[in-house]
Amino acid sequence: MARFARALALATALLVILAGPGGVWAGAPTDQLRAQIDRAVKILEDPELKKDGKQRERRAAVRQVANDIFDFSETAKRSLARHWASRTQAERDEFVLLFTDLLERSYISKIELYGGEKIKFVGESVDPEGAIVRTRLVTKQESEIPIDYRMHARGDKWLVYDVLIEGVSLISNYRTQFNKIITTSSYQELVKKMKTKQGEFLHEEKRTSQR
Amino acid sequence: MERSRANIAVGVFVILGMVALGYLSIKLGQVSFLGGRGYVVTVDFPSVGGLKSGSTVEIAGVEIGRVESIGLADYQARVTLRVQTGIKLQDDAIASIKTKGLIGEKYIRISPGGSEKIIPPNGKIREVEAPVDFEELLSKYIFGKV
Repeated sequence: MARFARALALATALLVILAGPGGVWAGAPTDQLRAQIDRAVKILEDPELKKDGKQRERRAAVRQVANDIFDFSETAKRSLARHWASRTQAERDEFVLLFTDLLERSYISKIELYGGEKIKFVGESVDPEGAIVRTRLVTKQESEIPIDYRMHARGDKWLVYDVLIEGVSLISNYRTQFNKIITTSSYQELVKKMKTKQGEFLHEEKRTSQR
Repeated sequence: MERSRANIAVGVFVILGMVALGYLSIKLGQVSFLGGRGYVVTVDFPSVGGLKSGSTVEIAGVEIGRVESIGLADYQARVTLRVQTGIKLQDDAIASIKTKGLIGEKYIRISPGGSEKIIPPNGKIREVEAPVDFEELLSKYIFGKV
């Protein structure tokens, strides 16, 4: 009996050591991403939320999932790249909010077009600096679109900071655009542009929800 | 006396010609001596589609280095770049394989990041973008629609 107890204690100790601090181990990024994607799909397929007039509620629910798995401040920082260093803390906070909003506006409306496409998880590579989770979006026509998620560990959570669709990086796309705007005009101009876009969208959303 | 002077002139001429030839072949062949100048960083791409050793590495269209070698590592393409000394690459810099014009040669474009961490010599660029395979994309949209 004593021997059994000792073996159990040893096994538990080993498990704790293997799991490491924060519980970050291989397989975790895929599992965490899968859980959030399943959550999002469930929301999108919920017949209750598909009804007219529920659009705002549905969007809010999807947004909540996105906030749980995406590290928007890291994406914003990397997209602004070398222009990030010269920003004040207040400017950075404002930019992260504007950028998060921009991403949500451009992608949440696309996500709403979801119609039962399947997501396959095809691989994962983890190193101390971060992880890549490779997935394929299988359309109804059976063609596969590769979507890779770049993730990094924050505490015991893995958060996505970049998405590569067909090998094209989201950060790279915005980095090029932001850099062009900032170098040809100014950072203030970029913020102004983003605010104008945001205003237009809010106006549009208001109009459609009033209809 | 007259003859030996002519011989010397011919000899000098031949040597000059050979030096010029050597210089040309080094310049055109892009041969680097003693491992070349600058430092080395590696990048792993899922595919390099058409990139060759000797291809240029650019930031903002300015050449900052060249591809030294391309090999296979764990079924990915491992590209070794030689970057000029003095060019700092941030930890979050993105290396993408781009095409000059629509059907031109392939090169590596690096978009500099904003991280304070600098990639050390023999380090690795982690963020990559593989070249977009137009044929594959096209076939998806041709055969995809049933």
